[in-house]
Amino acid sequence: MNKIIICVPIEIKKFLSSKTPLITMIGLMILPFVGGFFMIILKDPVVAQKMGIISTKAQILGSNADWPSYFSLLTQGISLGGLIIFGFVTSWIFGREYSDRTIKDLLALPISRNTIVISKFIVIFLWCMFLSISVFLIGLFVGKIIGLPGWSLEFLFSSSIIFSICSLLTILLSTPVAFFASFGRGYLSPLGFMIITLILSQIVVAMGFGEFFPWSIPALASGIAGEESAALTNISLSIVFLTSIIGLISTIFWWRYADQD
Amino acid sequence: MNEIINTINLTKTYGKTKAVNNINLSVKKGEIFGFIGLNGAGKTTVIRMLLGMISPTSGECYLQGKKVNARNIDTWSDVGYIVETPYSYPELTVRENLEIVRKLRVVKDKDSINWIIKKLKLEKYELKKVKHLSLGNAQRLGIAKAIIHKPKILLLDEPTNGLDPAGIVEVLKLLKDLAKNSDVTILVSSHKLNEISRIATNIAIIHDGRLIKKIDKKELEHELKKSLIIDGKYKNEMKLILSKAEYETNTIAIENSNEKLSVLQVHNEDAVNNPEKIATLLVNNGYPPRMLKVQKEDLEEYFLRAIDEFGGGLK
Repeated sequence: MNKIIICVPIEIKKFLSSKTPLITMIGLMILPFVGGFFMIILKDPVVAQKMGIISTKAQILGSNADWPSYFSLLTQGISLGGLIIFGFVTSWIFGREYSDRTIKDLLALPISRNTIVISKFIVIFLWCMFLSISVFLIGLFVGKIIGLPGWSLEFLFSSSIIFSICSLLTILLSTPVAFFASFGRGYLSPLGFMIITLILSQIVVAMGFGEFFPWSIPALASGIAGEESAALTNISLSIVFLTSIIGLISTIFWWRYADQD
Repeated sequence: MNEIINTINLTKTYGKTKAVNNINLSVKKGEIFGFIGLNGAGKTTVIRMLLGMISPTSGECYLQGKKVNARNIDTWSDVGYIVETPYSYPELTVRENLEIVRKLRVVKDKDSINWIIKKLKLEKYELKKVKHLSLGNAQRLGIAKAIIHKPKILLLDEPTNGLDPAGIVEVLKLLKDLAKNSDVTILVSSHKLNEISRIATNIAIIHDGRLIKKIDKKELEHELKKSLIIDGKYKNEMKLILSKAEYETNTIAIENSNEKLSVLQVHNEDAVNNPEKIATLLVNNGYPPRMLKVQKEDLEEYFLRAIDEFGGGLK
């Protein structure tokens, strides 16, 4: 435990000194503003008509200009965009040690490799949670500025729970990315892995098996495929947890047992 | 505990290639063990195995009597190392990088950073980001990271790479000082043989993954072949006279003031120990020598001879 307390601030320092926090922040903060932009279009039918293609897209994404539609949009955004952004954070935190060849300095220390891997995951979790909370809070701010109808404390409570669950599930799916960053010794393999999971998730959902494919589950839970698919089954939840645990354990095992040439 | 670094039948195989083949090493406390070999001979692989970075295919490594294992984390408190070119976090400064290592090494004394910065003469660069450092200063930082926790064992793979001549002298002096005054046991690999010969108390030659020679400094002095170099106007006649007197003579090329010179070389102990006898012999026969010089083989020549005798020579 003591050694985790030593390692986490080190990982935070390394992470915050890089450009990754800024890039991922900008990448995800676009979400509430784009959502807000669609809401403005939907709110004013005259403007919507003049906007042509944009209004058509906005109609698809959210049928009404109100708080539930706006937060549904944000939740879908964090489920899909999060897979990319959280995956990017993970691939950087693990992959940079290989790309910058600093991994050698982490392998023969009086601190176990498990502690270093877990510290990295803690930083990934903290940063991704921070990003998610920021999207939520900025979403609230943008919604208030636009003056969306349908606000209530009950709504705030229910939407924050769905948003948190979807964010958490997406963050949990980052652990396999860490394994691919370690296995592939850099950024390329995890980025390739992320792209493949995104493509596969589309195909699997189209085939009707989305609730069994870990990378489709957060998006389905956000209601992207309609209200009826939004309810999470225990099986879907277990699949995400199991995937996350497999990613975590395989990363720890890789750091501990694989030859680090 | 006298034996600090120890390997028993250490072997590492990649597919059908034996990168390291049955290596037995034993380094005692306070020794500077020079580990020399050509590029790709297996030096780095041995060091990586000693650090638990790669697992041996067979055989074992021990540090201070404890078997090397990635799980045996206590082993690493007393070990400092450099494996190939040292790298640091480029977006952090020299001081920040050292601060990270200090914490990861669980060194409580915060002043150790100032101490090591001064020791490695990094004062001018301590607030500079690593990505802006020269190769030599990045190497100094690597050495600083290896010794910030004052380890009892140093495993250094080509530690003088990228250093300028003054830097090389400083680092070699530092290593010698650590071994002599702090009883630090050092295993240092290099292909720069003359540098190693300046500090090593023992030398091992590795070739094609095999340990082909282990020798201490005193033995090395005896093993370095001496010969008598003779130059004169009439080399063929001189060679004939020497051969008649049963001196084994051959002609070699040497460099003298940037000029290639063809000279005679005699290996006989009698000639090497009594060059005046050769001078008298040649003068009496009417072929006085222009130059007589007893020359000792350097480590580079010794190394090439060793791998040549082993059967894998470059000559």
